[in-house]
Amino acid sequence: MSRYVVKRVLLAFVTVIIVSLITFFSMNAIPGGPFSKEKATSPEVQAVLEKRYNLDKPLGEQYVLYMKNILHGDWGISTKTGRDVWDTISGSFPISAKLGLSAALIAIVLGLTLGSIAALNRNKWPDRVIIFFTTLCTGVPSFVLATLLLLVFCLELQWVPAWSPTNPNYVLPIIALCTYPMAYITRLTKTSMLDALGQDYVRTARAKGVPQYKVIFKHALRNALIPVVTYVGPMIAGIITGSMVVESIFTIGGLGGKFVSSIQNQDYPMIMATTIFLSCLMVAANLITDLVYKAIDPRIELE
Amino acid sequence: MKKLMASVLAAAMVLSLAACGSSASSTASSEAASTTESASSESTAEATGTKLNTDTSAMYLCLASEPEHLDPALNTTVDGACLAVNSFVGLLTYDENGNIVPGVAESYDVSDDKLTYTFHLRDSLWSDGTPVTAGDFVYSWNRAANPLTASDYGYLFDGLIAKNPALDSNADGSYVDEAAANEAMANNDILLNVEAVDDNTLTVTIETPCPYFLSLCAFPTFFPVPQASVEAADPNGENPGAWAAEAGFVCNGAFTCTEWKHDESMVYTKNPNYYDAENVTLETLNFMLSNDEAAFYAAYNAGNLDFIDSVPTDEIPNLKGINPEFQVLDNLGTYYMCFNVNSTLFEGKTPEQANAMRKAINLLVDRQYICDNIGQTDQTPANTFIPPAMSDGNGAEFRQNTADYTYPNADALGYFDPSEDAYDDNVAEAIELLESAGYKFTDDGMLSDETPLSFTYLTNSGAGNEAVAAALQQDMAVIGINVDIQAEDWKVFLNDRKAGNFDVARNGWLADFDDPINMIEMWITNSGNNDVQFGRDPATGKAGTVPSYAPQDWNKYDELVASIKSETDFAKRANMLHEAEDMLMETYAIVPLYYYNDPYMMKSNVSGMYSNAFGYKYFMYCTKTAA
Repeated sequence: MSRYVVKRVLLAFVTVIIVSLITFFSMNAIPGGPFSKEKATSPEVQAVLEKRYNLDKPLGEQYVLYMKNILHGDWGISTKTGRDVWDTISGSFPISAKLGLSAALIAIVLGLTLGSIAALNRNKWPDRVIIFFTTLCTGVPSFVLATLLLLVFCLELQWVPAWSPTNPNYVLPIIALCTYPMAYITRLTKTSMLDALGQDYVRTARAKGVPQYKVIFKHALRNALIPVVTYVGPMIAGIITGSMVVESIFTIGGLGGKFVSSIQNQDYPMIMATTIFLSCLMVAANLITDLVYKAIDPRIELE
Repeated sequence: MKKLMASVLAAAMVLSLAACGSSASSTASSEAASTTESASSESTAEATGTKLNTDTSAMYLCLASEPEHLDPALNTTVDGACLAVNSFVGLLTYDENGNIVPGVAESYDVSDDKLTYTFHLRDSLWSDGTPVTAGDFVYSWNRAANPLTASDYGYLFDGLIAKNPALDSNADGSYVDEAAANEAMANNDILLNVEAVDDNTLTVTIETPCPYFLSLCAFPTFFPVPQASVEAADPNGENPGAWAAEAGFVCNGAFTCTEWKHDESMVYTKNPNYYDAENVTLETLNFMLSNDEAAFYAAYNAGNLDFIDSVPTDEIPNLKGINPEFQVLDNLGTYYMCFNVNSTLFEGKTPEQANAMRKAINLLVDRQYICDNIGQTDQTPANTFIPPAMSDGNGAEFRQNTADYTYPNADALGYFDPSEDAYDDNVAEAIELLESAGYKFTDDGMLSDETPLSFTYLTNSGAGNEAVAAALQQDMAVIGINVDIQAEDWKVFLNDRKAGNFDVARNGWLADFDDPINMIEMWITNSGNNDVQFGRDPATGKAGTVPSYAPQDWNKYDELVASIKSETDFAKRANMLHEAEDMLMETYAIVPLYYYNDPYMMKSNVSGMYSNAFGYKYFMYCTKTAA
């Protein structure tokens, strides 16, 4: 087990390096640069900026320098704002993470519950109602849902302010964030639950007279969880790093918007930092997912 | 049951598909449109307008998204300048009538040769209680001009105030004496002739008489910055804006930034040490940091905001002339398209024929349509590059016929008549011009298949710019010219436009100061803003041999600009500026479309906001009533 973990961590390290290499060279391949502006800067100023950000060095050297600095804890300075990149990430990630984890938790709890209810009431009305709403929820894009929530609850009903400097409202963005994963988990749970309920061991358990709740929770649900876990691991990594759309509509200073704006601004240090940060989270989420498989189903061999 | 279910599901799917089909922004704003329509019709019934915020000590505003820099010397944006003028004040400032009035300087004297300015500073304080002195201005101006600060507007000092000879540079931008230059920059010893006689007296000697020098003294780049905190935040000289990267920095204006939640909000609190604090009635300015139209427009209509600095274009028809909260300010700037004079589009033509082609394309544009249907905020169709209301540097408006100068089209005050009435004549003239350039036309006035004409129009992505591109495409199609539209991301677009990788490109310029030289100077051969590539060799992108079809002898323009900059007689200078604009416009490489303006919305219970011609908004004298 520990050997497996060590191996995976080493592999993860290689993955992150490869991601950083691809990002670094592809962002440099985009025409323009962080300092191309509508009103041209003088050659003297351009030279100062290029030197300050090491852009006057060959690409390979720039990359090595950059990675070396990161290993020393220096993520660089944003070319756009002059603010320390790590300050920006460490300031905005907790906001995205708070929203994302709340949304993920709601999505998992509701998704598993609704999915199980739907499976156990197959083709009866609760199943139909649940599947109708989850189909609707997976079909509505998040920017439409977020805008609708804003217009209904902030503008028409005025239950919460559309924006407030003193008490930012996190309920609507959490709803906007959790709707799609909740619906998806519901449908996954229903399908795999039905599958599990049809298995021989469930029939055996029922034949033995095992109580219904035990059949559901111990035998069926546990086995139905595998596909759900496969989805939930990367979903959590994605959701805690924020959504550009939801953050923009509800004016939240999370990390999601930074991924997009850093690329539009060709803010090299910010592009690298956000990409490396997200890829670390992703490989960690995948590793944890695999370990959770093992915990759920001891038959799975980690190799 | 099953059937009902199926039909409901089908309806839901159609709905969500429809939502996917249109782009994010248009869906969002059309949602906003329909809902706010019902909201406004309800509220009209109540006759109260949109919901008001009745907290009279605080104002809630949305200018734009997160500002890049709050250091006034590093600011480059209009929204950043609005923040700067409300938290800093320079030697001079603007009043509600757009006049330049005393700021930190109570008064000033100008020498007879108009070269030496002596500013008499009032006793005023930084927000931390230390005095603002003449020495602060010496430091701040040297710092803004210092290449190490990398201020985009550092160029404003070039040719204005003499520089330390150690900074002399070669044509390629490298320094003549690298070591001396580095030392001068490290010591922040950049400008000669900016001197603090004592704490309250600053003398500045400029190189040649400059009609706009006083307006520069009210421009953010020339604002004072607190030396002690600037240097403390950046001991290695690597990050000049670090001192103002978070809330709590020292300033000398009406408000101080006391809270900054990045990408969410900023709170500016009244500065008790501001010299005119007794006339500031608001306790706080609260800024929403957003550029999401649906979000800030909803916040405004819900009564969470008192002021929004832009208005969703889709909403304008429902607001203009209907809701008195919707207002438009004129800006000093021109939206135009520019040709690349070195484009292969003109290959095989004489310079005169290339000129005729550009002039024809210019005449084919229906500007009124663009203003009415795309801009929508009553923009004026443009027929000059220098916008109206810009002064001529000699106390009058530049755009007028005078005893010494008459515009080629005297009645239209410009280079052609852009009005709807002249459209048919313009098209006829365009056909004649193209015929003179060797193009053949069929009897029904369409370009013949034998001599096709086709070009690519390069624009940056964005609904408004792409709509203008489509309108131009239609205008050209009227006589059979084919236009391909190429939309690119902002930075990629800038790169292509600067490098001359285009036939025709979208362009625009908002003046930095109120003098035509700002928009004339940008077209000299070596200017970084010479997107048209005047006087440049297409192979190298630098000054050199121009193609046979491009405007020849552009060095004459360079010489004219140089002589304008050294001219001491302002009346003569104004005429020379006209001469330069004539030279520029007669190439027809610049096709002005309309003059910029700036829509905003402000609640009826707020008064006292004013703006200057550059769109910098002053909120410190605003008052709010409870209803």
